Amino acid sequence: MGFIRREWTAKEADEWRKEDWFAIILSASSYVLLTIGSALSFLLLPVGFVILGIGIIITILMYWIIDPKLKTISTEYEKKQKEYLLQLEEIQKWEVEK
Amino acid sequence: MVTFAFLDWLWLILYILLMVGCGALFYRLGKRSQSDFFLAGRGLPWWLPASSVYATHTATDTPIWVAGVVYKYGLSGLWYAFFAAWCAISAFVSTRIFRRSLAYSQAEWQSLRFSGLGAEMLRGWVAGWQVFMNMFILGWVGIAMGKLCNMLFGWDLWIGLVIFTSIGAIYVLMAGYWGVVMADFQQGVIALLVIIIVSIWGVMAAGGPQTIIDKLKTYNSTCEWRVPADTQDGAQGLLRISDSGTSEVLGASALPFTFSNAFDEARYVETADGVKKYVQNTHESETNSLILFPSDADVLYTGRDYTIVWKASEGKRLVNVEYSTDNGATWIMIDENHQNGQRWRINPLSFTGSFKGQFPVAWFVTMLFIALLGGFGMGTNIDWYTEAQRIQSAKSVRDASYSIWAGTALVLVRNSIWAAAILGFFILFPHLASSAEYEMGWYVVGFKYLPIGMVGFLFAGILAIHLSTVSTHINLGAMYATRDFYHHYVNPKASENRLVVVGRLSTFIILIGSFIFGTIIGEEITQWLIFALWIMAAGIWLPNILQVIWWRFNSWGYLSSWIANLGLSWLVVWILPRFGIIPELPDYMQFWLLIVLNALIYLPVTFLTKPEDMDHLVSYYVMSRPIGFWGPVRREAIKQGLL
Repeated sequence: MGFIRREWTAKEADEWRKEDWFAIILSASSYVLLTIGSALSFLLLPVGFVILGIGIIITILMYWIIDPKLKTISTEYEKKQKEYLLQLEEIQKWEVEK
Repeated sequence: MVTFAFLDWLWLILYILLMVGCGALFYRLGKRSQSDFFLAGRGLPWWLPASSVYATHTATDTPIWVAGVVYKYGLSGLWYAFFAAWCAISAFVSTRIFRRSLAYSQAEWQSLRFSGLGAEMLRGWVAGWQVFMNMFILGWVGIAMGKLCNMLFGWDLWIGLVIFTSIGAIYVLMAGYWGVVMADFQQGVIALLVIIIVSIWGVMAAGGPQTIIDKLKTYNSTCEWRVPADTQDGAQGLLRISDSGTSEVLGASALPFTFSNAFDEARYVETADGVKKYVQNTHESETNSLILFPSDADVLYTGRDYTIVWKASEGKRLVNVEYSTDNGATWIMIDENHQNGQRWRINPLSFTGSFKGQFPVAWFVTMLFIALLGGFGMGTNIDWYTEAQRIQSAKSVRDASYSIWAGTALVLVRNSIWAAAILGFFILFPHLASSAEYEMGWYVVGFKYLPIGMVGFLFAGILAIHLSTVSTHINLGAMYATRDFYHHYVNPKASENRLVVVGRLSTFIILIGSFIFGTIIGEEITQWLIFALWIMAAGIWLPNILQVIWWRFNSWGYLSSWIANLGLSWLVVWILPRFGIIPELPDYMQFWLLIVLNALIYLPVTFLTKPEDMDHLVSYYVMSRPIGFWGPVRREAIKQGLL
């Protein structure tokens, strides 16, 4: 298993792990870089293309890190969703139950 | 006024037919159930809600806002529109937690997270606030459309408001959120195309990217100035420019100019237009004075906006701009740490000091803090309430995360494209001192420079921008009215068919309410409501995060933060400065002060009242798996064998 984990069990994926924090940091960085990079690239400034390129690479890296975990969370959660929806409707009718 | 050719009308009519057709096409899906009418059955792939996030947050007033801040602050102005970046963290934190809760709305989430009377009070408050807010936003963007139609076609304001908001309502009434999200996808594509085409046109009209950069390096320095209304009529004025760091005077008016309060519009316009050539450097050689405008021949009217122009001194980055009305005995600051020249406009990080000037580091740090860390909470940004609907409409947690991330990334890139076009607009019109004039920059570029036949395409794009916003708010307001009021309080046993009928009725009522709001919105009401939005954003910013990340934060703590914030923000923003108890603070300092003062109230309330019911918290924890400080709840869930 490498530094970045790419295979998850359902139980492990539900926990908040370092991969989530990496995704958060990379996500915020890529927003900053995409904003600056796009504006400067639209003005055809070389530095703009460099910043935009770094922003895109960071975005891909973020996806590479977080996607396996998100996939596992989603697959597992969908199995329970029906039961949770019934529970939600019970809470919705709180006034009636009282 | 613009004149439409046959091709322009064709674009427009085709587009309207496409949008209304969307409602008819998805009519059957929309009426299946409440979940279909408000969340498209929770089955959308990520790119559909993503396009809806993008389209919804591209409204008719958005290019006005972005043009205003970029014209004034250069590319640094992009950070004023960077608050959308809360989605960077939200996409992987609060979006995930909220999608797992399955709550239809933020109001409903309150009753999942909290329990008992406090939760009910919060649900009612959030639902009521959101019905009102959606009506208000509809009125606001509706009247912006009315103003645009008035400018373009000379129509009365109400015509643009009623016609184009009603078109949006048609497909929302028919197909609910199915109609909204499907139309949003088409509108998103059309709006993006229009934004790119018009922005390229704007850049080319200014001579192309290289010319824009070259001219920014040669244009003279400018500073906006509203002449104080209480300046004495006939007074003689002097200006001076000094180095911000050393206070060395770089130059001053050789001869005084005159103030007047006998306003002459023709002369005012002539003077303002004449400033253009001074900025563009063409008259630099005609005078030895550092200050090019105003000169001794000029009359400045009190209470009016002007652009002061001076030569860009080499090696001086920040200067102070001051004026005197007593022949130089005393000097009054117009702008401290003002940036010299114009080349700073292409630097998105052109700071004007730690705390001073128009773009201080302290403001930037506060903005990043609010924008990014807000993603840990729910409701830290007013846009959360619309995103919440998109999050729940995605078919899985993964799709919800990507939809929020990608939709917002597109919003930020769109702002950058606009910004480049607005720099082009500045090159063409560098002399505008009134925000009302330069805020319309992007629209001016489109309607002035696009060829005939394309103007209809631009208007269809503007209509797309408008419809995507109004359709969302009509449907969202109806969802709060139906789900959180009617279904929860009035008729909890209502059938799915009944709820869809009530949803349609609520849609209609919200539409009519928005017309009333739209026609009464004036400058004063808008200012008050902007203050109301500021109230929401500042003092409850931290409680909005705490409710997500801290198990012990209870409904009474959260409720007290709302109430306390209402009073404290009045005190900090208006009352205390008025009585001289505290100085008038910049907005970012008000934010920090409100954070601290509010915490002094809601933290004791939280600790003096009981925690939420543990079984309720365990149920919420197991379903949503929140981030943060949930140790006791987690241990209880393990004890109960639920984890």
